Amino acid sequence: MHNSKAHLWFIAPAIILMIIILIFPLFLAGGISFTDYNLGNKTFEWIGLENYDKMFNRKTYVKMIWATATYVIVVVPISVILGLCAAMLLNSLRFGADIYKTIFFLPVMATLLAMAIAWEFTLHPTLGIVNSFLANGCGGAREFIFGFHWLPWVNSEQSWYAVACANNMDFPYWLKQKNTAIWTVCFIGIWQAFGFNMVLYLAGLTGIPRELYQAAEMDGAKSTWEQFKLVTWPMLGPTTLFVVTITTIRTFQVFDTIEILTKGGPSKTTYVMMYAIFEKAIQQNLTSIGAAITVVFIGFILILTFFQRYIIEKRVHY
Amino acid sequence: MEAKQYIGEGWKHAILIIGAIVVLLPFYMMVSMSLKSQQEIQSISGGLIGAQETQTFPVCVKTGYSEEECTMKPYKYNYWFAFEKAPIPRYLMNGVIVTLSIFIIQVLVALPCAYALAKLRFYGREFVFSMVLFCLLIPVHGIALPLYVMLAQAGLVDTYSALILPWTISVFGIFLMRQFFMTVPDELIDAARMDGMGEYAIVWKVMLPTAIPALLAFAIFSVVAHWNDYFWPRMVITGNRDLFTPPLGIREFRGGIDSDEFGPMMASIVTVTVPLIVAFIIAQKRFIEGITLTGMK
Repeated sequence: MHNSKAHLWFIAPAIILMIIILIFPLFLAGGISFTDYNLGNKTFEWIGLENYDKMFNRKTYVKMIWATATYVIVVVPISVILGLCAAMLLNSLRFGADIYKTIFFLPVMATLLAMAIAWEFTLHPTLGIVNSFLANGCGGAREFIFGFHWLPWVNSEQSWYAVACANNMDFPYWLKQKNTAIWTVCFIGIWQAFGFNMVLYLAGLTGIPRELYQAAEMDGAKSTWEQFKLVTWPMLGPTTLFVVTITTIRTFQVFDTIEILTKGGPSKTTYVMMYAIFEKAIQQNLTSIGAAITVVFIGFILILTFFQRYIIEKRVHY
Repeated sequence: MEAKQYIGEGWKHAILIIGAIVVLLPFYMMVSMSLKSQQEIQSISGGLIGAQETQTFPVCVKTGYSEEECTMKPYKYNYWFAFEKAPIPRYLMNGVIVTLSIFIIQVLVALPCAYALAKLRFYGREFVFSMVLFCLLIPVHGIALPLYVMLAQAGLVDTYSALILPWTISVFGIFLMRQFFMTVPDELIDAARMDGMGEYAIVWKVMLPTAIPALLAFAIFSVVAHWNDYFWPRMVITGNRDLFTPPLGIREFRGGIDSDEFGPMMASIVTVTVPLIVAFIIAQKRFIEGITLTGMK
């Protein structure tokens, strides 16, 4: 058909760039992680697994693994479930769905760094509207709702809200406090991610044929919940798998909110991996330990993706 | 039955409106702070836009402007002073330079490769394609450190090249374009060859035009990702203000959160954030399509 060597010119740039930019760095990170090399040093020595040993035994890095795991385990399920709920609600609306869709998608679009700062002010102990909203609600309906006084087992005088009101409006410092910082960062992560999941689920929902619902109804699945269990959830299997994987990979890479808001603190409770790589390798110039964290990080991601591919091949076939 | 359905609809809207309020809260805060005076911000008063009383701003006077120059309404002052303090247009221009260069190079590299993988038969094609599939698994942010070491060794830290180089190859772009080209009928290409067109001409004059819709979606995907990216610029740009991209600018504005005036700070953040949001609201459908492109894998 064609005898030219054109294809070589077509694929060569891509192949060369793939090797230099994507594949070689993997080996470079692996290599550096077994040395004591720091950027700027003329020489280095092979030190075997010492960096990895530090990573799994030093307190800082154990905290890093904890913070990363907490963040991922909280943000992924909640943002996926919220995305699914939002998509199903919007799908069943008679009017106005487009407006909500736009609003919920805004955080996905907007520069995360800017939004992190906006949240910082929103949650600021003295300038923020959240705490002033809470302080103005002492003794009223807000205390009842957000203090969880409507739950039978919550004592209305000892709820966190009532205690804060009684102690001269001592509401949480959200990002500055050891026991709330990680949850606040998680909240911002969820806030940012669920709109993306919602859109993917909306696309998944339009792919479900109407007849399936009619068939389910004839089989006796009348309530919304039964129909969801019988039709919607199984049909969304592939979407869910995809949404979970992509959200997990993105969540693992959290950096912007941490760097600008907490710097990994207070006392390393929000010290996630990407921030650790940045702080160790770039700010403290400990290149080799940064490389070891990189290797573990990439390992996590590769395992996850292989796992996803494996399930796709095995199970989720319709 | 009818009434029940209306009540159901009402409940749904109630839940969604509460959700929307939470989602919009930081946007509200951002815009509101960029319009109000420092006193109004600190006392959390004045609602969305504040009283807008004409006043003289002490920080401005301290900076060396005359009292007359510093007397105006808060919203005007915030935005005016934001532009006086930082080279915001420069940051925005850097953002445009970087994102556009990245996109153009990505297309120049990916398009021919995708064409070859989809439509040319050559030895090793399967191997190249499986290489693409493997590279698809590697998150570039994850390998940022070794890339940084390489760039540092090459002496490229603090240059435009450092901002652009790691993103010149988009395996996702190759994959996407390949899938798209697979659907283009062979007859089109054969006809072009009959007309005496060379392979280069086919790529840029036949394939490129057919790929415009896919390219547009990819453009949005790529531009949004790199306009908003903070991690990579933060790694490779250490202090040279002339190279700051919008997110680095935002970080600089924030600087002294406890000392400075908040109004001008938020005004700069709004200015940098707004272009993308406006573009999104104008071309919503395309944006959602483009950003969820990864959903097509």
